[in-house]
Amino acid sequence: MKTTLKKLGLVCLAAILFSSLFISCDSGTESPTAPLTITDQLGRTVTLETTDPQRIVSLAPANTEILFALGLGDKVVGVTDFSDYPPEAFKKPNVGRYDIPNIELVLAADPDLILADSIHQSEIIPQLESHGLTVVAIAPATFDEIFDSIRMVGEITGTTAKAEELLEDMEARVEVITEKTEDLPESERVSVFYLVWHDPLMTSGGDTLINEMIEIGGGRNIFEDTSGAAMVELEELIARNPQVIIAGVGMGLDVETTMQVFESEPRLAETDAMKNSRVYGIHLDISGRTGPRIVEGLEAFARAIHPELFE
Amino acid sequence: MSSRAQPAMIMEPSRRARIYSLIGLAVLLLLAIIIATGVGSVSISFPTTFSILADRLPFVEITPTWPDNIAAIIVDVRLPRVILAGLVGAALAVAGATYQGLFRNPLADPYLIGVAQGASLGAVIGFLLPVGWHIAGFGLIPLLAFAGALLATVTVYLLARVGKTLPVTTLILAGVALSALLSSIVSYLIISAGNKMHGIIFWLMGSFSQSQWSEIEIVLPYVAAGTAVIIIFARLLNVMQLDEEQAQQLGVNVERLKIILLAAATLVTAASVAFVGTIGFVGIIIPHAVRIIWGADHRFLLPLAVLTGATFMIFTDLIARTVMAPAEIPIGVITAICGAPFFLYLLRRRKKAIF
Repeated sequence: MKTTLKKLGLVCLAAILFSSLFISCDSGTESPTAPLTITDQLGRTVTLETTDPQRIVSLAPANTEILFALGLGDKVVGVTDFSDYPPEAFKKPNVGRYDIPNIELVLAADPDLILADSIHQSEIIPQLESHGLTVVAIAPATFDEIFDSIRMVGEITGTTAKAEELLEDMEARVEVITEKTEDLPESERVSVFYLVWHDPLMTSGGDTLINEMIEIGGGRNIFEDTSGAAMVELEELIARNPQVIIAGVGMGLDVETTMQVFESEPRLAETDAMKNSRVYGIHLDISGRTGPRIVEGLEAFARAIHPELFE
Repeated sequence: MSSRAQPAMIMEPSRRARIYSLIGLAVLLLLAIIIATGVGSVSISFPTTFSILADRLPFVEITPTWPDNIAAIIVDVRLPRVILAGLVGAALAVAGATYQGLFRNPLADPYLIGVAQGASLGAVIGFLLPVGWHIAGFGLIPLLAFAGALLATVTVYLLARVGKTLPVTTLILAGVALSALLSSIVSYLIISAGNKMHGIIFWLMGSFSQSQWSEIEIVLPYVAAGTAVIIIFARLLNVMQLDEEQAQQLGVNVERLKIILLAAATLVTAASVAFVGTIGFVGIIIPHAVRIIWGADHRFLLPLAVLTGATFMIFTDLIARTVMAPAEIPIGVITAICGAPFFLYLLRRRKKAIF
């Protein structure tokens, strides 16, 4: 017992000594006098040292698109997977997966501003902040919030003029649609089923951006009583008989697969959508990314739902 | 001399051989830490790495020829990750060895009585609660994972306890049943998790990618304390390899020992799993590998398992984060791919029953 205890004591002592050699103190980031403090879209208060960042890392494709649309493409020094629009963005240094960026590569890029996404909230953002990096999160849930996010990026990068210009353009395009669909009576609203995935059968609920786009496009989401990305029963889908089916395509689900899925399901043949061949695919790059191209997505929805109103 | 052929005698390594092995492994571990800190997705030259590390030693001052962010990568990203990997590898290996010794069952691993599923449930609940709650600088997820692991084990203990005794078979069965229940709840929660599903699944697969010094400050005391307790009782664990009645007759307070060792091993596992998720293979196979090479005397088995587990995990984590850089391969995949063939080789080479 005594020798074991002695051995133990030595081992513990060694362990403590060894670890104390390397446990670093606080990496000492000073708090500068900040010209700007904002609240980002995850409710975080962020203090920005500069409103003219020179090295920006974007952790989400939508954020990359916003940066390029505001003319900040030259200042982007790191992007994650899927940042493929505009084509120049694809050539930027890759800092890892969209959902799990590589911290080493982000640090190596030496950014003075990082634009993150809601997916990074629980682990990535705290870790980046612990290295003293400035992270602003963009997480719009509605069209208005998308506009807000673009305005915010303009504010924190000193490109407010360009942002306003972009927003005016976007709002004008939305106007073109809303002036025809805002006052549509309930009877003329087309019932729409949005397909997120076919197995399990998943759709977008009433609190999603997709739902908003269906509404603005002059339709009604047959599953607006669900929430988020909801799994639904096939029999409900049949019972609610949508007039139009729109599938999100581009990530493992293209239009041909969608059609095959629906055609191979004989029980769906009796829905209005199938009988009238009103099944459309809208690319997720424009309907799923909360950047400037979301209006393209909206326009695609409007065309699919009311082809007679929008060519 | 008899003309009958003598059966081949496989000698247990001598005490001296084992002590040399301990020292050798410790040196190997140190090397592993240095190498692993020098390699990563961002290429940093070894001289720079050494200088950065040396600069951090007390009494050593080197004027920096490197930018701050590179130093941050070495000291704040890689080094904590490597150290945490070593800690967790050591923890899982020693806990696995303890469970195998306690249950006298070669299939025992640190997750046997519900730690993995309890931690998973805690973590998933942490993911689903409104984020942003931090207690003492830590996110909710590790806290709940740790709590879940301990609660599950305590539940299994209470279910299996019969009066003042803790029958080992009942413990295993209760552990399996509770794990199944918790696992199904976890599955249900994952499905209803919406857009958090992704993060949850990644957490469950286990990863060292978010390791920070603050986490090591929490994990180290638990692992050190638990391992110390287990090693103190190494000799008694040897005695436990006889059946419990005999051990009791030899003067071992078997029930008390079971509880102490179970508690220590569970604490060690829970602390590890809380921060890195459930990494398989290490807890079950490393103890066996050590047993094959160095014998089953727990006074050596346990420290050797600590060193072997740590080194193994550091190397597999290195592979996981460099082979497909900048992406990472889940570490559970690498531990199995690297470990299994080597273990099978050991089994074949020794050709003797090891348990």
